Amino acid sequence: MTQSAVSVRAVTQHFTVEGQSTVALDAIDLEIPPGQFVALVGPSGCGKSTLLSLVAGLRLPTGGTLLCNGEPIVGPVPQRIGMIFQEANLLPWLTALENVAFPLKLRGVPKRERLEAARAMLELTGLGNFADRLPHQLSGGMKQRVSIGRGLVQDPGVLLLDEPFAALDEQTRMVLGDEVLRIWARTGKTVMFVTHNLSEAVYLADRIIVFSARPGRIVDDVPVDLPRPRTFSMMSSERFGALKDRIWAHIRDADH
Amino acid sequence: MRYLEPLLVAVGVCGIFGLWEAMVAGGIINARIAPPPSTIAPMLVELLGRANVIRSLGVTLYEVAVAFLISVPVGFFIGFTLAEMPGLGAVFRPVVNFLFGVPKSIFLPIFILIFGVGIEQKIAFGVFTTVFVLILGGISAVESVPRELVTVARAYGANRLQVVREIYLPAMAPVLLESARLGMIFNITAVLLAEIYGARDGIGYRIAGWGESLQMPQLYAALAIVATLAIAVNELLQQLETRLGAWRQRPA
Repeated sequence: MTQSAVSVRAVTQHFTVEGQSTVALDAIDLEIPPGQFVALVGPSGCGKSTLLSLVAGLRLPTGGTLLCNGEPIVGPVPQRIGMIFQEANLLPWLTALENVAFPLKLRGVPKRERLEAARAMLELTGLGNFADRLPHQLSGGMKQRVSIGRGLVQDPGVLLLDEPFAALDEQTRMVLGDEVLRIWARTGKTVMFVTHNLSEAVYLADRIIVFSARPGRIVDDVPVDLPRPRTFSMMSSERFGALKDRIWAHIRDADH
Repeated sequence: MRYLEPLLVAVGVCGIFGLWEAMVAGGIINARIAPPPSTIAPMLVELLGRANVIRSLGVTLYEVAVAFLISVPVGFFIGFTLAEMPGLGAVFRPVVNFLFGVPKSIFLPIFILIFGVGIEQKIAFGVFTTVFVLILGGISAVESVPRELVTVARAYGANRLQVVREIYLPAMAPVLLESARLGMIFNITAVLLAEIYGARDGIGYRIAGWGESLQMPQLYAALAIVATLAIAVNELLQQLETRLGAWRQRPA
């Protein structure tokens, strides 16, 4: 058996807010093989974003272990795991190119080398002509493309996307979804993608993990057996609808 | 269009001076209270040629500069500390806020008692006035740093020092410069006030003297010099602020 790209073993996360302890994640087990595109869905506050920040090493779980390629995750390992946030969160004083190069700068990669790598990433995400723009000169979709470039620039094996298109309009969301699929098909990365949008989850993923409301537990693990490449017309197919219905049933039951 | 605005300003200023001159000549304005520009201008040139005036200007500039160089690090440091330490901030931030609102001039007699009327007193009073502006500026600068950007930096492996250098400093720079500029305005005001109130030298001391002896051309010429210097310092800091804060501009 091949080793999982990401392993989540009996992970529990408690939060204490104003003296009250809540269980955000309760005994989560999840194995993600390399190259799989996994969508995480569930009602608001089910802890799916929390799970992502645990995989990113931004916090440590209350209990359980997380592994990346078999090695424990005890802090951010940006060379292995790239994180893309809901808001593009670009550094507003850096150009698009410098933003993409930022993770390399933190690692001490020489300027010429890192800008060269960043330029290649901007080409990949279709922003080759906007390298010298500042974030406030870019549209929401373009900013998110820069942010994806920043996530990819160190060529990490695992890409985490935390509701990356939630703040974008429907058309931009569709276009960027296809873009992520194209990049994924080309690079073969393992992807964990948190979303509220069920169509987006079914359209993009190989597999959909459905969470319950607090305490967050995995209530379903849905393989998406639609052929690739995914096309727009699939979204109106019966199979697509059936998958969405299956997920929706869980979320409707959970979200009171 | 870009050259039109300064041109209009120049025309406006010349207009005011012209009007002033005419009104003095016509007896509408008393030349004893407001001598015409044609009297003030030669006086200005004369004053700039006097060694003691130049020395006084030097004393004032020295006091302003030293007070500013002390206020900036001290004020920002206190501001950062209060912003980053919630417990300390909860206690001292209201105090700073209250003190900021108190007119500092009422403390001048105390400063004379402690420091005398020399340069030290001007510097101390300048710092006392300016530091509150910079403390408040330091606090709001820290609070202006977007938390999400700190998270981004951490997710990409930034250590503490890198978070400060790559996120905090650039994010805070425009706010810091803005409060430094504001602080400088308070600083110049405080030093001049202290000089006018009680001093042995400095341009404020000269201004007070000319005012008391009703030497109006000297007084107006000195006002022109001080105003020009203050505007120049302010413009310089504003330019810096605009350059370092270009990224803050909203899309057109």
